[in-house]
Amino acid sequence: MTHPLDPIGEAGLRFYSKVSASISHEIRNSLAVINESAGYLEDVTRMAKKGGNVDMNRLETLAGSMLKQVQRANTIVKNMNRLAHSLDDPAARTDLNTLLELMLHLSERTTVTRGVKVSAAFSEPPVIITTHPFFVENLIWLILDFAMDISGDEKTIELQPVKTASGAKINFAGLDQLTQNAFENFQTEPVTLMLCALKSTLQPDEKKGMITLNLPENISQPAQ
Amino acid sequence: MRLLLVDDEKEFVETLAERLSLRGFDADWATSAKNAEKFIDSRHYDLVLLDVKMPKVGGRELKKIIEKKLPGIKTIYLTGHGSEEDYHAGSAEAEYYLMKPININELIAKINDALGKEAQS
Repeated sequence: MTHPLDPIGEAGLRFYSKVSASISHEIRNSLAVINESAGYLEDVTRMAKKGGNVDMNRLETLAGSMLKQVQRANTIVKNMNRLAHSLDDPAARTDLNTLLELMLHLSERTTVTRGVKVSAAFSEPPVIITTHPFFVENLIWLILDFAMDISGDEKTIELQPVKTASGAKINFAGLDQLTQNAFENFQTEPVTLMLCALKSTLQPDEKKGMITLNLPENISQPAQ
Repeated sequence: MRLLLVDDEKEFVETLAERLSLRGFDADWATSAKNAEKFIDSRHYDLVLLDVKMPKVGGRELKKIIEKKLPGIKTIYLTGHGSEEDYHAGSAEAEYYLMKPININELIAKINDALGKEAQS
């Protein structure tokens, strides 16, 4: 007997596994730099013991490099921890600036590899809503994946959270090749279910090359 | 023995090249496919070490570009990615496919093996 996966659960697992793979890649890269730096220190130490000269400036650079990589890996782990905890509360007070910043970090390897520059115009004061952070993050991940395919020649996407009368919206601008047909194809079952779970809507604007994610002020309250 | 190392992690590729130089290899390094092509156009190389996942042009695509310019050149892939799919594809294309962080002695053994030489270090 087989049990079909529910689409929203499967999408969540896919998102989480992709981020985990990307993060493990990043951590491996940090470890690789530390490994080579420590290896080089070992090499020159052995040479020094045999009477060879040691370039102290190079050693200082390598020590700085190792410290930098430890900080980098620590930031990666902190972000992974933040993502993991975004499942803790299905209706959490959420600062969209902070959430978008996390998503920029988590998606960086993917976006850079695909040659797309993704940035955010953070709002001041911050836009804070009550929502399910993990679903929002998952949805942003899916929208970004779609957006990268239609970002046109500029290959630049800008995310912007904005306060609205009914809650908040996140604009995804720079989608020069956005068409109604492409947008309809993007609205797969998981996307539709996630929008439903978040009581939110997606709105395309072909002329502006922009998609807007509309989110309610409080996911716990009945939809207006 | 001339090697070209290509990886977008500058600190990694620079230091690895230095360590290989200390062990008798003539090792150049580049942080992008574009820079790597400049080296390939100006010098002969016996083997290239390529990072599989790099921005814009990845190692597998760069390998094809390099092979057109230097037919028969040996390749070792380096990666931090580690998916099964990449591993199988990479292993089939290159002499070796090594996961980061790497062991320098293992790397040198693979380089020598790929080049059909006795161990240098």
